[in-house]
Amino acid sequence: MKKQLFLLLSFLITVASAQNPDDKKYLLTTNINTFELSTVSFLDPYLSPIIYSGIGMQYNHQIRSFLKPEQTNISVQSKLNLDISVSLNPQSTSMMMFMGANYSWGMHYHFRVQNGFQLLAGALWDVDFGFKEMPRNVNNPVNLDMATNLNLSGIAMYNFPLFTKTLRLQLTAQTPLLGYMFVPMGGASYYEMFELGNMSNTFHLSSPINKRGLNSSLTVAVPFNKSVWNFGFKYFTLKYTANDMVFDKNELSLVIGTTFDAANFSGRKNKAPKNFLSTNE
Amino acid sequence: MNIGLKKKDRMKRLNLLVFIAILFASCMNEPVQQPNTYSGNFESLWQIIDTKYCFLDFKHINWDSIHTVYKARVDTVKSQLTFFDLMGDMLDELQDGHVNLISDFDVSRNWDWYLNFPPNFNSDLILKSRYLGKNYLIAAGFKYARIASGKVGYIYYSSFEDNFSDNNVAYMLNYFSACKGLIIDVRNNGGGSLDNSQQLASPFFKVETLTGYIEHKIGVGHSAFSVPLAMKTPANKNIQWQRPVIILTNRMSYSATNDFVNRMKLAPNAIIVGDKTGGGGGLPFSSELPNGWLVRFSSSPMFDSFMQLTEWGINPKYSVALLQTDAANGYDTIIEEAISLIK
Repeated sequence: MKKQLFLLLSFLITVASAQNPDDKKYLLTTNINTFELSTVSFLDPYLSPIIYSGIGMQYNHQIRSFLKPEQTNISVQSKLNLDISVSLNPQSTSMMMFMGANYSWGMHYHFRVQNGFQLLAGALWDVDFGFKEMPRNVNNPVNLDMATNLNLSGIAMYNFPLFTKTLRLQLTAQTPLLGYMFVPMGGASYYEMFELGNMSNTFHLSSPINKRGLNSSLTVAVPFNKSVWNFGFKYFTLKYTANDMVFDKNELSLVIGTTFDAANFSGRKNKAPKNFLSTNE
Repeated sequence: MNIGLKKKDRMKRLNLLVFIAILFASCMNEPVQQPNTYSGNFESLWQIIDTKYCFLDFKHINWDSIHTVYKARVDTVKSQLTFFDLMGDMLDELQDGHVNLISDFDVSRNWDWYLNFPPNFNSDLILKSRYLGKNYLIAAGFKYARIASGKVGYIYYSSFEDNFSDNNVAYMLNYFSACKGLIIDVRNNGGGSLDNSQQLASPFFKVETLTGYIEHKIGVGHSAFSVPLAMKTPANKNIQWQRPVIILTNRMSYSATNDFVNRMKLAPNAIIVGDKTGGGGGLPFSSELPNGWLVRFSSSPMFDSFMQLTEWGINPKYSVALLQTDAANGYDTIIEEAISLIK
């Protein structure tokens, strides 16, 4: 009897102390992939004093997750943006090609204002690299866009019901605060800068005094049976000045994309629970 | 005490507001875009040259008076063609081969730097059997052969736009290893890449040598230039030619070719023979007008190692002209002079 009682007690303790996989918290990563079609305009006085306008395409890959399972007020976000566009001068006698990439990383604090309404405020640090090419120019056919910025970032998310679905309206806005940017002297050739190594007056501190911009979007996320699709608009404007030149870029984009959540399991300590089946078994 | 703190707080807030107001009120105005009219395009072109062209003071050009003269004529223009010609005439005042106005229907140019001088080059002559002949070799943009009974190497290079590798140069110089000296003919070479100029000069230098300077505009003033930046010609570590080398020049040796000649002037065994080069010592830039025409102009002045402008050309050490009597007999006087200098 004593033995039976001991076994029963041991079993109950084991069951009670065993961790239920459903109780453990796992961080999901929200993945947002979007394609954008844009109308663009550029002013780059190093290449031309004339404003160029045209069309462009962008691809964005953004991931966001909470910092820790226990900390659901702070999220970490990283974003990669690839940008390509072709624009013409008003007389269509010259073309400018732009290719650029931007990577940003940062954090947001989540203010849960009310059920279904969140405000996120934070900062993103980004690295920007792109080049504009104007093949008609002989000795100054290219200008590089290189910058790094600390940006203020805000996001508002509002869930609202429509028929049988709950849609999410999302407004995002970013503006550069402080940074460092490459702007050549108006008359200095890339031969002088990169062949002869004269980089004086090419790197500049940036702040709202000499660099202002807004990268904003308004999207609505619509859930379907097995996917969530985002539709919306993006407005990007950036103006900066250095070396007595004012540069300008504007983009108005149509946005379409998807959102999905995924859990990452990797390494020795971050294994998937047994009821998660992987080909990487 | 509390009242004092409140005042301090208010002052801090006020200061912050003033700071933010100054921050966002600071000017970042784009330059005024001229309208696409004859007058607007004229003003735009005049201003581009006024603020960006690098030789206005060097050439003692009164650009303001040119505005007065041409503005009056612009007001009478009735067609695009006459407007183009008028703008071409205005740019012609700069007397610069690097200045062009490029439209869909024409290119304005100043070619006086060679048209007003004897050509001193005949492409048929260098193809005679005495020189390149029929069986010359070609490496990248170089045509080359052994001449003067195999004692002299001869290279003709027609454009510094033609890229080449160190391998091309190494093969050529190896081919001439039994020769006493080398001739590099850059007559009628209108220029191209400064990188090619430096690369071709480097085998003739034993050590890195300061061969010139370059400046660029740092403001709208006609004489607002950066501190001169040294342009050095490195010694090629893998390929060296330390026997006599003669550089043949004429008035059509221009721009990057002018730069090559300027470098070779200081090469230890080099001699410049022929006519004065055409110049073109201003690195050109491009801009455009509201009507879409492209304007090219000299932007960065280049100097020799004594800070003398190379815009007007470089004199040869031995000034030799191509004699018509020699040409009639199949001789190139300038190549013959170079051969005799090597022998």
